[in-house]
Amino acid sequence: MSTGPGLDELRGCLEGIVPAGIATCDAEGMPNVTYVSQLMYVDPQHVALSFQFFNKTRENILANPVATVLTMDPDTAARYRLTVRYLRTETAGPLFERMRAKLAGIASHTGMEGVFKLLGADVYRVQAIEAVPGRELPRIAHGPALLPALRRSVDELNRCTGLDGLIDRFCACLEREFDIAHQMLLMADEAAGRLYIVASRGYERSGVGAEIPVGMGVIGVAAREKVPIRIMFPASEYAYGRVLREQAAQSGLVDRLDNEIPLPGLAEPASQLAVPVMAGGRLLAVAYVESRQECTFGYDLEDALVALGAALGLMMLVLRCPDAADEADIAQPAPAAAGGAGPPVRVRHFARDDSVFLDDDYLIKGVAGAILWKLLGDRQRDGRCEFSTRALRLDPALHLPEVVDNLDARLILLQRRLQDRCDWLRIEKTGRGRFRLAVDRETILVAEGAPRPG
Amino acid sequence: MPAQCSGLLDPALAAFITSRISVQIAACDGRGPATLVRGLGCRVSDDLGTVTVLMPRSQALPVLAAIEANGRVAVVFSEPETHRTVQLKGVDARVEAVTAGDEASLQPYAAAMAARLAPFRVPEVFARALLSASPDDLVAVSFTPSQGFGQTPGPRAGMPLVDGKP
Repeated sequence: MSTGPGLDELRGCLEGIVPAGIATCDAEGMPNVTYVSQLMYVDPQHVALSFQFFNKTRENILANPVATVLTMDPDTAARYRLTVRYLRTETAGPLFERMRAKLAGIASHTGMEGVFKLLGADVYRVQAIEAVPGRELPRIAHGPALLPALRRSVDELNRCTGLDGLIDRFCACLEREFDIAHQMLLMADEAAGRLYIVASRGYERSGVGAEIPVGMGVIGVAAREKVPIRIMFPASEYAYGRVLREQAAQSGLVDRLDNEIPLPGLAEPASQLAVPVMAGGRLLAVAYVESRQECTFGYDLEDALVALGAALGLMMLVLRCPDAADEADIAQPAPAAAGGAGPPVRVRHFARDDSVFLDDDYLIKGVAGAILWKLLGDRQRDGRCEFSTRALRLDPALHLPEVVDNLDARLILLQRRLQDRCDWLRIEKTGRGRFRLAVDRETILVAEGAPRPG
Repeated sequence: MPAQCSGLLDPALAAFITSRISVQIAACDGRGPATLVRGLGCRVSDDLGTVTVLMPRSQALPVLAAIEANGRVAVVFSEPETHRTVQLKGVDARVEAVTAGDEASLQPYAAAMAARLAPFRVPEVFARALLSASPDDLVAVSFTPSQGFGQTPGPRAGMPLVDGKP
């Protein structure tokens, strides 16, 4: 590598905003030159080029692996020649998926949807970088200074003492420190292969409880590959409304989908970034941000959110191990609140998926649904309305995954979904690991279907 | 110049490559890797036998050195708004001084490219920075196209030109 600029300083040139060119040479010494749809940063020593068609460039690099790429900075017009050596082609996995998503954006930006299809990510080692002289524009800073924003956000997260506060602080930091107007945080349910929204900002509806299958769209692919997925332009094949509906139509689930909680989100995001929140190599959540403006989220913001996500993941783990003294079970049941105004509500529980309906309105399913059903059952049986998470955690009826106990996140989901959907049923936090079920209407509990075996 | 077609270029293809579109020029001296530079326009001789591409000398030094070494050149032309792309190759390339007409073509070239890139929300000031050169920095490379390929993205990319058409 030369002593000039390193690849880290050239990442703006590696966004695929201005098409690059690649010159190769065949076995007879004849040059070949072509445009490159996508040139992507991999790490400080490597770039990836999109491999879409078998062509002369491909034939040449297989025979003669050293080539030159000419790339331009999309802000300053600075030009660089990179001497690169072809190493390998990846046809699946994190790098491939990052590139495929990004290429979908580039294809739609350039009117090449349906033409650009990634066959592989060609990985090259960068041997030299030459700054080519020529007119340049002054660099203009975009957005907030990221390092101070990151530091303030990490400090904020470190002050949190509960998971619900942590989730809200995280979202507030993205909004305040990073100027991100549209975002969602989804918790991972690895056993079920799904992610569910626990918080969102910038949408008409919160969508708390809405689910995305692992592998679907920007968020699902980020979760499956455990890698950030970032798109700089509108990419309809990664837009959720359309993708979910098409998949449901294919599997004949359209009616069922209408019963689910609708996903929030921009109808046509122009920039998207999904960052997996990891701890100890395990996926805990995915943070998703989007914008109506193109090219909003660059490599540096991706780095900042990955670092912030790491802090969030560790804090989630820390706050998931509560102090036993804080979780002392409630010895004496407190009297249940009396039924308030309004006719009784039928609370219907379907054992097959633990879904709960309030009269005919779908509320929630899965572990959160099982929790609510248990709380209402306990209240009806012995008038109890004070609960502890410790007691819940030990309840076999909740079917909690043994390895990943995300009970706290389920409770937060349930609490927020209730806030969204009804004004007479609430979960109120009364202390660390303790909460109260507040019921202001009379309820009739209706068990629909047989309980789940085991 | 005899008014006779050389075979590879027909009037339509000549019109296409001289229509102030994106140009990149590559060369390879056989010792180092192939190298390339962005061009700033193109002209074709009256007999359609010779293609001349313009580029800033200061940016093209390795390309010019390779062309002077063996005369081999590859030039890709692409129309940004349609992605129609053609590559021409030659083995008799030589570096030449530019004409007054070449110098005068610089401004119209940059203006035309800026207009072509505007629909992609490329600011004009960016296009002009990328595609401008001082007239005294301009150099020309001329060659007889001996091979041509269609390179419009898609499954037919890389196929030889037939009757000047990709």
